[in-house]
Amino acid sequence: MWENLKLAFTNGWHVLVAGLLLGAGVPAVFSLGVRALAMGGAAQEGGRIRPIGKALGVLCFAIVVLAIGLGITFIVASGFGKKLDFEHIYPVLIDK
Amino acid sequence: MSTELVVLGIVVLTALAFDFTNGFHDTANAMATSIATGALRPKRAVMLSAVLNFVGALLSVEVALTVTNAVIKIQDKSGAPKTELTAQHGHALLIILLAGLVGAIIWNLATWLVGLPSSSSHALFGGMIGATVAGLGFSGVKWIGDASTKKLDGVVGKVILPAIFSPLVAMAVAAVGTALVYLIVKGIPSSFRAGKYRTGQIFTSGLLSLAHGMNDAQKTMGILTLALIGSGHWTDLEAIPLWVKLTCAIAIAAGTYVGGWRIIRTLGKGLVKIGAPQGFAAEASSAAVILASSHMGFALSTTHVATGSVLGTGIGKAGAEVRWRIAARLVAAWVITLPSAGLVAFLMWHLADLIGGFGGALAIFVLLLIASGAMFLRSRRRIVDHTNVTDEWPDSQSASAPAAH
Repeated sequence: MWENLKLAFTNGWHVLVAGLLLGAGVPAVFSLGVRALAMGGAAQEGGRIRPIGKALGVLCFAIVVLAIGLGITFIVASGFGKKLDFEHIYPVLIDK
Repeated sequence: MSTELVVLGIVVLTALAFDFTNGFHDTANAMATSIATGALRPKRAVMLSAVLNFVGALLSVEVALTVTNAVIKIQDKSGAPKTELTAQHGHALLIILLAGLVGAIIWNLATWLVGLPSSSSHALFGGMIGATVAGLGFSGVKWIGDASTKKLDGVVGKVILPAIFSPLVAMAVAAVGTALVYLIVKGIPSSFRAGKYRTGQIFTSGLLSLAHGMNDAQKTMGILTLALIGSGHWTDLEAIPLWVKLTCAIAIAAGTYVGGWRIIRTLGKGLVKIGAPQGFAAEASSAAVILASSHMGFALSTTHVATGSVLGTGIGKAGAEVRWRIAARLVAAWVITLPSAGLVAFLMWHLADLIGGFGGALAIFVLLLIASGAMFLRSRRRIVDHTNVTDEWPDSQSASAPAAH
């Protein structure tokens, strides 16, 4: 029982850290993209999106798309008995 | 045709029926927030979710044969059913599975009727536990996992603790995500930003649907295959028959497409008044928590996570309206899901045992049909569907159905 509780705490803690990184990080980066698009009064009526804002915005959205792609890769990979390994920081597919 | 084959047929049908209820009960988990913010029109949302659930279900190549091992002792480690249950073409095993599934379906339908997003996995585990207690006694259930394995196991480790931790974690993640979002886009007119978040939501809710199909359809596949092994119609412990995989994928996708509109309404409109940035933050939080947990082998219910995220996004936005009375109802429903499904399954097993043999199995199947029919008819009195699912939520109302119109 006690062992269970300790394990649940450790697991819950790990999920919280990973969750904050991805689950709060992705919306934050996405919002930076929105902010970039709105640069220089582009969000105001009659405003136009600046090229630099567009470039930065697209960069942010690309990071978000990458993160979602990572999620899809994770699901598909675990279906085929592989898993994502983060030992080298960047993800690598290895056998389970 | 022998009667034992008919009993197996009843179990197969009931398992697929459970998979179907699992689909429509959980459409809300991925799509409620996208429907509520208008990111996807209701019919398109359930269509997209159904297709991705189907794909996700087919992707679960990994063997899910040992799904019941988390909470009950009717299989050994390899996935083979206990030999004492497989006499007479596995009749004892089939009746436990059937009673458990009936308990889970009845609870899923009852909570759908009142629009409560309760966990389908809790209903399934509850049903299996109830039927096992009836059939094998209290010692047939793994209440607490084996401490020496260093793994979360048993009813406490695989069901109860995750049900406490996962919604809290999701709530925290969504609250932080939401707060960051509003901080970053402060001052940008909503007309400029809303459309962008709605586009983002299509991707996050799609990702959630895919993860759901993969996680949940496996459970039914495992139980169905266990029934086939127990009755001597399948012997391979390393694989699931192709037709089982296909029919389960179709059942969960069909259920998702039908859409549990009452539950979608509660989760999307009832709990928190959600704007597009909040919907995006909630979905990203759910997806991250679900995927991180399954990466670590931490079992959880997608329903608990989705609900936690929606609540969190209400907490994270200053001045957002959270209906705590509804939240309290949801939590109450979570607490009683496992024992309620268990109790129904317990009674069903005893009824089947009392009548005995083929007649017993048939009797509880007929009871299931009657109960389902009654609940469906009751639901027609106040219809919630794609036309009224996003109607404004009246303040006085704690039930799920919108005012009649």
